[in-house]
Amino acid sequence: MTTFIQLIVDGLAQGSIYAALALAIVLVNQATGLLNFSQGAMAVISAFVALTVTTALAPALGTTMAIIVAIIVAILFSFVLGGAVERLVMRRFEGGDQDTAVVATIGMLTLITGVVGVIWGYNYQQFPWFFPIAQSFMVGGIGISLWSLTTFLAIVVIMILLQLVFAKTKLGLGLRAVADNPNSAALSGLKVGRLLVVGWGLAAVLGSVAGILIAPKLQLTPTMLDSALVYALAAVVVGGLDSPIGAAIAAWGIAIVENLSAFYLPFVGNDLKVAVPFVLLVIVLVIRPQGLFGRKAVVRV
Amino acid sequence: MNALKAPNTAVLTAMNRPTPWYRTTWFRWVIGIVIAIVLIVLPNVMPTLGNQTAARMLMWAVAVLGLNVIMGYTGQVSLGQIFFVGVGAYATAITLKTEWAQSLGFLGAVIAFVLAIVVPGAMGFLIALAAARLKGLAIAMVTIALPIIGVPLAKRFSDLTGGYGGISVPSTWFKAPEWTGLGSDPYAEWPYYLVLVISAAVFALTFFLVRGKYGRAFAIVKANEAVAASMGISPYRTKVLAFTIASMIGGIGGFLYMVVVGYTSPDTMSFPQSINLVIATIVGGAGSIVGSLLGGVYFVLVTQIPTALQLSTYTTVIAGVVILLVLFLLPGGLSSLPRVIRRLASRGRVRGGGNSSSTTKNVDDGTAVSIAGEPGNTKK
Repeated sequence: MTTFIQLIVDGLAQGSIYAALALAIVLVNQATGLLNFSQGAMAVISAFVALTVTTALAPALGTTMAIIVAIIVAILFSFVLGGAVERLVMRRFEGGDQDTAVVATIGMLTLITGVVGVIWGYNYQQFPWFFPIAQSFMVGGIGISLWSLTTFLAIVVIMILLQLVFAKTKLGLGLRAVADNPNSAALSGLKVGRLLVVGWGLAAVLGSVAGILIAPKLQLTPTMLDSALVYALAAVVVGGLDSPIGAAIAAWGIAIVENLSAFYLPFVGNDLKVAVPFVLLVIVLVIRPQGLFGRKAVVRV
Repeated sequence: MNALKAPNTAVLTAMNRPTPWYRTTWFRWVIGIVIAIVLIVLPNVMPTLGNQTAARMLMWAVAVLGLNVIMGYTGQVSLGQIFFVGVGAYATAITLKTEWAQSLGFLGAVIAFVLAIVVPGAMGFLIALAAARLKGLAIAMVTIALPIIGVPLAKRFSDLTGGYGGISVPSTWFKAPEWTGLGSDPYAEWPYYLVLVISAAVFALTFFLVRGKYGRAFAIVKANEAVAASMGISPYRTKVLAFTIASMIGGIGGFLYMVVVGYTSPDTMSFPQSINLVIATIVGGAGSIVGSLLGGVYFVLVTQIPTALQLSTYTTVIAGVVILLVLFLLPGGLSSLPRVIRRLASRGRVRGGGNSSSTTKNVDDGTAVSIAGEPGNTKK
């Protein structure tokens, strides 16, 4: 039972990372109809920026302050990066052929991974954190990882904030309008281009927070989030492309099932657990092709 | 839809203008024969490294061709083609390692070849059954998982696959027979000729496939699934068929990989390789036979040139820059380059001669579509 609860808490933490990436993907898809395969790479480069800032500032400010400053810098950086990618690269492919746009994001994935590799190298690098990653505390005789709990809570808080932005602010209203119908949004006087830049920026921020949170656990490499991207995409398919809540719930579910099966099914183990979301995905696609929470798209011909 | 209109436009072209010399049938025959002679004579002139490079280009061209069937012709982005190349390579190596296959000699190699097609094909069929159910980009989202799962899977079944260390084909295979007089070096001309013959056959079969009944089904599914369904063509079945054929061609690529390289490890089907294959397809030219060939050449050169210049750290950056440049400047890929140049040239001529520009434009668009329905043309 003890292990079971620990596995669930760890699953929730990892699931939060996938959920954040999945939400970023849904956000971009809602606004532009594109699938951003470079979401993970954008998060990785932000995490590397955070690492560099931390290393530079740690002697002067102390590790804790340095990490806080680094996170703020990385968030600003990722917002600018996301906006710039939209304006300079993706703008050209929006509203065009979907396949071309997907290949463009794959190109961005390659380019960003390559740039990270050239600047920071391909070796594993330790990311400093506020507390030791292995640290855990006892609740009723069960040891719970501090990293897992804080990561989960941080992502939940960010999701709530994002939801508030979308539901309560004028910016959120504009973003929703653009997502719903760019043409009529433009006719009602909204600056669609600017809103798209903001949307991509917000998505990149969400991804980069996830990247920074998982970096101390995984160690930083240019390809750190490749498999997380696969999980996030699986969550998006299972949850439905048009349902942020569905994607988040699917991400948590996938991570928990993955952790449990790695532990309880000897055949799966730690190396093959990556196949678990894939098998889930195939089952869901066969039974419910529009995703567990997605609406069935009705297209008028 | 464009692809269906194309023949009419081509007929109009023929009526309006005399066929230019570079588009006549005899000129194409001459070009084809010249290329064939060059390809056959080449290995006797080139050093061994050149032969190996040429054979690797042909081999990757086959893998790209497979990806083109699903991505270029049917319009479904697949990020898992490398997985089928890997499965084909493993199927070949595992079969050829058994004493049973070794005792059969040439027949053993044939059995390995068949297995390298059937095993990836069956896997591709099962995956497509699930993946093709969703519209839009579902195939991309599902197939991206294949290399990520394939690598640990290959490592896990180490009894069969050799785990991290990989597996190699015993050097007794793929040696030149004595009657050829090519010498016993297994990595010289003979593998090149083997690859040349098999890939030529695959290219020819695919050429006829995409030009025939199924090719038209692929094109209509790519253009508009609703229209396809209304014409009695099931988009689902067509996608499953295209994906299965793509995996089978990928498997042949894997077989050829073992002929050329003779060794495979889990890294063969890693995620970056998978991405590179997609990039190679677009750089060469999606939905184009010639583009597949160019894609194979690009796939080999994009790692070989930076390595030769000792810039291998920059390989990934270069690949990223190349694909974005191609998407911005030449959306039809390298294979559309002659067409683009011709179009620019004729535009210049029109300005000088004072002809109606719309006629020229239509003519050129017509030929463009009839040669390839590349992504650039399907843009709204």
